[in-house]
Amino acid sequence: MLQLVLFNVTNGLIIGAFYVLMALGLSLILNLSNVINFAHGNFLALGGYIAYILVPFLGFWGALIVAPLITAVFGFVIERLMIRRVYTRDPVYSLLLTFGLAFIMQDACRYIWGPNGLPMTIPDSLSTPLSADLFFITWYRIFMVAIVITAVTGLFAFLRFTRVGIRIRAGTLDLDTVAALGVNVGMLRSMNFAVGSLLAGLAGVLAAGQVGLNPNMGDDLLMPSFIAIIVGGVGSLTGTLCGGLLIGVAGALTTVVWPAASEAVIYVIMLVVLVLRPRGLMGQEGMMS
Amino acid sequence: MSMLDVRNVTKQFGSLVAVDGVSMQVAAGELRAIIGPNGAGKTTFFNMISGFFAPTAGDIVFDGTTVTKLAVTERVAMGMARTFQITEIFPELTVRENIRVGVESALGLRQKFWLTAAHKAQVNRGIDEALTLTNLTASADRYVGELSHGDQRAAEIATALTLKPRLLLLDEPTAGMGEHETFAVANLIRRLHRNSAYTIVLIEHDMRVVFNLADKITVLGEGKMLAEGTPAEIAANPVVQAAYLGSAE
Amino acid sequence: MNTATTTTTVPMSTTPARPWLTGVIIWALLLSAPIWLPMLGGYTALAGRVLVLGLAAMSFNLLLGFTGVMSFGHAAYFGLGAYGAGLTLKYLAASTPLAILGGVLLGGGLGTLFGLLISQRRGVYFAMVTVAFGQIAFYITYSWDSLTGGYDGLRGFARAPLNLGFTTIDITNNSTAFYYFLLIVFGVVTGLQALLLASPFGRTLVAIRENERRARFLGIPIERHIWMSFSISCCFTALAGAMYALLNNFADPMGLHYSLSGEIVIMTVMGGMRAFWGPLIGAALFVVLQDYISSMTVNWMSFVGMIFVLVVLFFPRGLLGMLQRGVGK
Repeated sequence: MLQLVLFNVTNGLIIGAFYVLMALGLSLILNLSNVINFAHGNFLALGGYIAYILVPFLGFWGALIVAPLITAVFGFVIERLMIRRVYTRDPVYSLLLTFGLAFIMQDACRYIWGPNGLPMTIPDSLSTPLSADLFFITWYRIFMVAIVITAVTGLFAFLRFTRVGIRIRAGTLDLDTVAALGVNVGMLRSMNFAVGSLLAGLAGVLAAGQVGLNPNMGDDLLMPSFIAIIVGGVGSLTGTLCGGLLIGVAGALTTVVWPAASEAVIYVIMLVVLVLRPRGLMGQEGMMS
Repeated sequence: MSMLDVRNVTKQFGSLVAVDGVSMQVAAGELRAIIGPNGAGKTTFFNMISGFFAPTAGDIVFDGTTVTKLAVTERVAMGMARTFQITEIFPELTVRENIRVGVESALGLRQKFWLTAAHKAQVNRGIDEALTLTNLTASADRYVGELSHGDQRAAEIATALTLKPRLLLLDEPTAGMGEHETFAVANLIRRLHRNSAYTIVLIEHDMRVVFNLADKITVLGEGKMLAEGTPAEIAANPVVQAAYLGSAE
Repeated sequence: MNTATTTTTVPMSTTPARPWLTGVIIWALLLSAPIWLPMLGGYTALAGRVLVLGLAAMSFNLLLGFTGVMSFGHAAYFGLGAYGAGLTLKYLAASTPLAILGGVLLGGGLGTLFGLLISQRRGVYFAMVTVAFGQIAFYITYSWDSLTGGYDGLRGFARAPLNLGFTTIDITNNSTAFYYFLLIVFGVVTGLQALLLASPFGRTLVAIRENERRARFLGIPIERHIWMSFSISCCFTALAGAMYALLNNFADPMGLHYSLSGEIVIMTVMGGMRAFWGPLIGAALFVVLQDYISSMTVNWMSFVGMIFVLVVLFFPRGLLGMLQRGVGK
């Protein structure tokens, strides 16, 4: 029983870690640009596939670093070419745009790499279990959690200490003032979009090592990421972080007692939060309206 | 008894005190102007009166009822109407439709799915009345977004008038207007005050408008009340001259 | 947030120069569809789909185009309407009118309930919460295997002949008769919608769309009206969903999925969200294009995605929006 609980808690943390990476990227873009990126799951898949191409040349470690960067560049270009054109319009247009983009990207992945799952090789040192008792925890899982912690710490440090990061945070609070101070808001939004894509790409590489690749691999993460943001509170990255971990662990723990309800519990959490605390766990008053 | 009695209101945003213990009494039928340099807290003061947000401390009494914590819609139902510094209208509707929304809301018909002939007549009367009062009859069927700045302002005032307000709050009614438009809007306000006996409180930057229209003037500076009095008294007040009029010129 | 101080923009005309003309053309085409459609290689079921999805999009547009709030989870109410109708036929009564009622009650009821939780939200946040709510409905439907048939969808029901008392109309086997039955329902519902939009209530909704702040300061309780609008929109959308179940004798969990929500939105925008008939035109374009593309290539998703991108970037006003501007100004 203890093993089962432990297994599910680690599982929950890992799922939660993926939710967090996805949701933080979505949240960054939402907060600064007021855009819901429906294609975010496809950026994740793209990151995975890019790593799949790179592994033979750069090895797993090289791919782990380079693939998210290429995803970020791709995100930057998409933002420059398309998404920035609709910022001044009714928000319905940005939603439709990313929605269409999701269709195209998913189909493109299917066209290029085929509809079936592809395996991605990870180093042997990572695929061994921790010990005989903890056979269900491979070093890869520990490694994933470590990488996610590093990435999230890095993101928060970036937002706190770098010039671009500080501007992104300021722009989230009051974009007009930031623009009035002479900051190039257009470029800021592009870079912010790139950072969001980078996180999605990183999640894609990690997911590919764990469960392999397929064109829809990001789809199942999109909705929980929305919920992580709603639960955590729109406008608060810390909230998104907590929201992601909360629903990840809650889902996994429910698996122990009632496997069929593990997905339902995420929705229940969201409903409870919306009824009792509409602005979310850490949301600011008025941010949702 | 005064129509509006503001008692010692304070508004803090974090550590910033935007309005600091200001009181003001406006009698029925009075036209009161609020002046003060930028950042004096005029609009914050206005927003508390109209219910945009609640004061941190103090009370607002409207025609004998304490409204400090009431929502905007409740204050509107009691007879408060306001316009905004940046004109707030329904730009893609015609002038007539803009006014119609107000009339139907004021008559409590806004949730109806159909109108009786009697109601229809009543609504049309209300619309015509507001159009006549604001001299907009000629442009009644034009889209408000197409009108000149001054006419857009008149249309906004017309929609506010449909509520038959006992207190009309005008936030910088001539903001951003040229000579000619300023004159027209000032004339409109004068008509509403003199001929129709509306109680009006307005914030205004144009001193000619203020000194021509107002019965009494309240001067704010850095969130505090500096002075209050008739235009003549204010013009002669040394504190005001030093703190406000002097710095403005 | 919504300051809507677009006082300097030139407004688009909300009514065409001859407002009745579009309606007359549309009704002439719809009434004669069973005659001309086969000549063009179409089929009546396709016309039925256009009608049903057009009805869903027009119902959705009460919110997007006429109240100014953006639901991105309307497929849920469409799908619930379909299941409500299917379940009624399968387990309760072999009656087509009761099936429609069952669909409206299920979809409209849940929509009304959800609406309570979201009427304070605006813009993309409104969209986000509605997507999540839609997925709750999707999730429940596909997991409740024993009742709904899970991923395979709900089968084992069929629309029943219409008993009018004095005579019975066979809409079960005669697809043309069913098409006209659909058309009558469509006519009644769109008629109701037109009346609603011309009423004081409809004007209040447009006022909220145009300028929420002004509306509030005219004494309009915004949240309550958005909630009512949401509820009405969900009821009509559920009705369209019920008709979809009757059309196919099948209810599909993908009918609740958010990808259909997105398609409903693109139909609406494509046809023109400020025009009454816009969503129907958009639905017709989208359904025909999708039908054509998916018969030509397996990569139809890319093309559908391209439709989204092209409409957003190059035709944001939609077909009727562009025509009306051309005629009206």
